Amino acid sequence: MIEYFTFKHRGESESFRDEVYLTLVPHVTVAVFYGSVMRTQTKVSPEMFSGLLAEVSSDADFNRMCSVLDDKLPGNAEYLVLRIEGNSIACFRHGGVMAKIVINGDLKMLPNGIFGLNDGDKILVATENFYSSLTDEGILADALVSDTCAEWMNLMVRRISDTNQLKCGNLSAVTLLVR
Amino acid sequence: MPDFTLLPDQTVLLIQIAAALFVTAFLSFIYVALTTIMSILKLQKVAGKDTDNLLVCDVAYFHCRGKRDNQEDAVYISPLEDYYSNGVVAACSDGMGGLLYGEVVSKYVVEKLHEMYPMSFDDQEGIASTIKGLSAEVYEQYHLGAGATLVMTHIKKNMMNFYSVGDSNIILIRKGRATLLNHKQNYVSLLIRKLAEGGMDTSEAYRNSRAKALIDFVGNIETNVIHTSKPMQLYEDDIIVVSTDGLTDAISLNKMKNMLLPEYNAQHLARLMKSGVKNKRLPKQDNFSAVIIKMDRSLI
Repeated sequence: MIEYFTFKHRGESESFRDEVYLTLVPHVTVAVFYGSVMRTQTKVSPEMFSGLLAEVSSDADFNRMCSVLDDKLPGNAEYLVLRIEGNSIACFRHGGVMAKIVINGDLKMLPNGIFGLNDGDKILVATENFYSSLTDEGILADALVSDTCAEWMNLMVRRISDTNQLKCGNLSAVTLLVR
Repeated sequence: MPDFTLLPDQTVLLIQIAAALFVTAFLSFIYVALTTIMSILKLQKVAGKDTDNLLVCDVAYFHCRGKRDNQEDAVYISPLEDYYSNGVVAACSDGMGGLLYGEVVSKYVVEKLHEMYPMSFDDQEGIASTIKGLSAEVYEQYHLGAGATLVMTHIKKNMMNFYSVGDSNIILIRKGRATLLNHKQNYVSLLIRKLAEGGMDTSEAYRNSRAKALIDFVGNIETNVIHTSKPMQLYEDDIIVVSTDGLTDAISLNKMKNMLLPEYNAQHLARLMKSGVKNKRLPKQDNFSAVIIKMDRSLI
């Protein structure tokens, strides 16, 4: 079973331009689109990203799905897509969205590829802006003291709040827990 | 071949002895060099694994009264000679100011920790439950009239569990970054959650007059003990500071990371921090206590 919790915050920006996409059937697909990042000047709207993912996310072949995304989205679009199927996780990252996994009391970045998952594994998918106010040690400590995804997210949000009172532009993140 | 016939017999004997000593010394050198290379290779192999048996804790502490009349902090460090079998437990408890008997409660807390030792490293739930029971005992005695905070780390090999109640600190300094590992259980955390859920910024939470008020402490009923459910991995040169808030009120985490460099031993780091607080000469300096643990690699 996969437990998840999403966090979307507009910050002091006028609008929320990131996107968090999540489907549970036929497989768990999680995607975070970093639309608020200034440097990309991407022409893709969050809705377009979601629409495109809805079209392709049912594809049984993860690599083929990612190739389609790669072809249809502009090169400067920044996003990450995860697919969890059984006890494996597939990751495709493009730009400033990262996935980090808590494993053996340590926090590691999830590279592109397919990896095994175990019960109790915790994964964070977030934009660079979300990570910018956190240290790996803080993310890890919060994961290790939390029983639920919501609790883990709340603790990290508290850390971000302590540095900038959440006045830091769009924040987008998803926490996942394998049970 | 050298001709020794013209030399006296005694000199020839001395040359032979010298040659024999040289050969012995040369063979010994080769042996030592090979052994060292093997050890380094083994060390690198071990260091790459999750369980690093060669990491040891270098521990020091300070325990100062500041400008207060009473010492309401209490410190506990488990016997270091038991490190390899039971790990090392380090704790600080800060009696709550404003409540009577804060001093008594903090001392009671560390005495109880001493009784609990040795603690099972992998029984995090059990230890948290014992601390909760301890809080209930204090509640039964004082009915919220007294309380204390508690921060505790339990390090074994290269892994660390931590436990926290209240607003004291467990700080990890790694690669020039200082991170507070435990969250302070104060009212501001509830306000932040509420504002964040409403999509608002949280500056209002920090302006609240009750922001720093504790919502949990040892002596509260049904205390929530923050604790790791699985241990955290530690690395060589990590510095862990287990302290009361008297230290962090005087020295910020930002300053601490610049002050505590991995090239110093724990004793020197403790001395630096203690003098750092004293040099601040804060007129209302609270009691300040800390245990400093530096992770060192042992070659033995």
